[in-house]
Amino acid sequence: MHKLSNKVRLAIFLLLGVAIYFLSGAVDELRVYQGATVAVYVVGIASIILLTGYSGQVSLGQGALLGVGGYAAALLRIHFSAPIWICFVFAILTAALAGVLLGLAAARLSGPYLAGTTLAFAVGLPSIANQFAFLGGEQGLLFDVGFPPLSFGEDFTQYKWFFWIASLAALIAMYWLQNVMRSRYGRSWKAVRGNDVAAELAGINLTRNKTLAFTLSAGLAGLAGALLAMTIGTVSPSAFPLALSFSLLTGAVIAGVTTLGGVMIGAVTLVAIPEIAGAVASRFGSSEAVTSNLPGLLVSTLLILTVLFVPNGPVEQLRAHREHRVHKKSS
Amino acid sequence: MTRINRRTLVSASAVLVVAALTAATVPAHAAEVGVSSSEIKLGITLPMTGTASPGYNKVPGAMKAYFDYLNANGGVNGRSITLKVEDDRYVPTEAVAKTNKLILQDKVMALLAPLGTANNKAIAASVNPARRGVPVLFVNSGFSGFTDIKKYPTTYSILPSYVMEAKIMAEYIKDNFAGKSLGLLYQDDDFGSDALKGFTQAGITFAVKVPYSSGSQSGAGVGAGWITKLSAAKPDVVVLFGVSSATAVGLGTAAALKYAPQWILGSVGGDATTIKALGVPAGVIYNAVGASFAPATTDTADEYVKLFSDIYAKAVPGSAFDNNVLIGMNTAFVAAQALKAAGTNPTRKSLMAAIDSKGASFASAALIPLNYSKTSHVGYNGYWFGKYSPTGDLKPVDGKYVLYTTDSSSGAVVKSTWKRPAMPAKGLPN
Repeated sequence: MHKLSNKVRLAIFLLLGVAIYFLSGAVDELRVYQGATVAVYVVGIASIILLTGYSGQVSLGQGALLGVGGYAAALLRIHFSAPIWICFVFAILTAALAGVLLGLAAARLSGPYLAGTTLAFAVGLPSIANQFAFLGGEQGLLFDVGFPPLSFGEDFTQYKWFFWIASLAALIAMYWLQNVMRSRYGRSWKAVRGNDVAAELAGINLTRNKTLAFTLSAGLAGLAGALLAMTIGTVSPSAFPLALSFSLLTGAVIAGVTTLGGVMIGAVTLVAIPEIAGAVASRFGSSEAVTSNLPGLLVSTLLILTVLFVPNGPVEQLRAHREHRVHKKSS
Repeated sequence: MTRINRRTLVSASAVLVVAALTAATVPAHAAEVGVSSSEIKLGITLPMTGTASPGYNKVPGAMKAYFDYLNANGGVNGRSITLKVEDDRYVPTEAVAKTNKLILQDKVMALLAPLGTANNKAIAASVNPARRGVPVLFVNSGFSGFTDIKKYPTTYSILPSYVMEAKIMAEYIKDNFAGKSLGLLYQDDDFGSDALKGFTQAGITFAVKVPYSSGSQSGAGVGAGWITKLSAAKPDVVVLFGVSSATAVGLGTAAALKYAPQWILGSVGGDATTIKALGVPAGVIYNAVGASFAPATTDTADEYVKLFSDIYAKAVPGSAFDNNVLIGMNTAFVAAQALKAAGTNPTRKSLMAAIDSKGASFASAALIPLNYSKTSHVGYNGYWFGKYSPTGDLKPVDGKYVLYTTDSSSGAVVKSTWKRPAMPAKGLPN
């Protein structure tokens, strides 16, 4: 397959950055806030795609790893007043450390056993957060990234600040991830996903590769957790519920779990669905019971439709369709 | 071919972001946000679905029932009141997202009774209504911290704080269960730590204290764990100071294990309709002690109960008129008076100024006065105690309300002699 050169890819990411910069000035504050949330989900979903799509391991506990990152960032901020970017780096490292431990266990498991282990992690971790006073119990901790620099002007809102930080982090994370996927490790993971016995025969160390994938994925999840904590100003066990893990997984499936290309589709879907549901419900004057349950129904329906009709995601489907057409033309 | 695909991907993704971010249309600017010549918009976030929703999910219906009644009778200075309801499933992330929607998209004038301590803290940290000058009227949380005017200048509390409740409950225990050994089940967060603070201040000691984490109560075997710990210490009186679902799990498990001490239920979890709806037979709470600041919902001789239950029966036929409904309607009634007092062209500022200057004299169904002033955002500050009837209705013992009041710090608990003024004509704001 023909790949874009590194220079072109870097240029595309820089262009995206410039587009985001101008976009943040052109839309209202709610969209800016939602844009920040989309960026958070982009990183969260990318962490699942790396793990599941590229290395073939299933995690139902990604939400808990987001929690580890969120708490790590908040604790560093509260106790050491660390600059924001150091908090984010610390969040990545702490979650990656949790990922190493989980990955070591995960490397010995597969299929439903691995899903069960990560699920237990997602269920158990928030309860652990409740047991220690320094984690703030059920109410959690404040995570205040501070006001935007005064040099940005008085009209520069807090949410625009969040949006810039989250978008920049997401762009860097995605650029880095693309590079990793094109490296020796990325190719090894794909080989393991395709057929682990064949990969091992080809000299790939399975345990080391799976653990590494888990570690990097956890690091990304940690970054997403710290960004999420930034957008809501707090970290608490209830901010990282089991539902978050399922939402991210849903986003990854809708995005197409084997390709990074659709990650934006998954993230926008997760943010847009509640809004679409709200608009539909209010247009038809539905009861509160309908309004409250419609987002869940829509997401579930979309998930089922994706699995039924485009199991590899819309972007991968489009690519397959085009390649099929090209083959037809050339033959 | 791949080259084109990759480009398509990138541009498709970029287009998606642009489309998602610019889909909104911004409504025309009004004199005050959320106030037009014919309408005032208010917004509420609370769990309408999920484990924390039972009981609370009746509150918006109750508020709307009152507002519809008010609107049919001329509204507030000719403006009708619209309440926008958003389900946050009791998750702080969703509370923030939904509050942003209410303030930035729906452009509500004020938030009314947003529910939950953690959620309100996240809203204050991220959405920052104080910086935006958005009034947060009558938060549905008894966390005493929300009355800190410096930290939450636009937030008004209405429920007595959990510290007040614990102090008053301690007084009731001293008066009625002197010398008995005590047990306590509490939530291990600010809700519970406020309660512990109140009990400690009142000099009450418990033979056994069982904490639980919010959300854990629905786990299998959790209730049995609590009851085993409680019953091992053999207390005569057990205080259940938790949310409705935890209270129901505690009572239900105790009944199954045939453990029956004298129960005292905190006001948060003591709504009998919710407890019964969660599967606990009414007989289990018979003779348990409960607390409320509003009149008993069965007290149809009370003019507010009569009017509100009539309005609610017409608006939501077949739904039980319980404490959540009464308090929801009463909160709407107090909000309507605040809006009326804010003048013919109410603004966010004039609304808050009206509560500061006149809030203490607003009419309300409660048997305890409101305490708003320029220096206090405390709503009610007291409770009466009663016992649950065989059908599960909380009623004052011997039909007489004995009211206690106090504060959230070291003030004494005193028996209140305050008499509620007569209801304004037709239950409409003066």
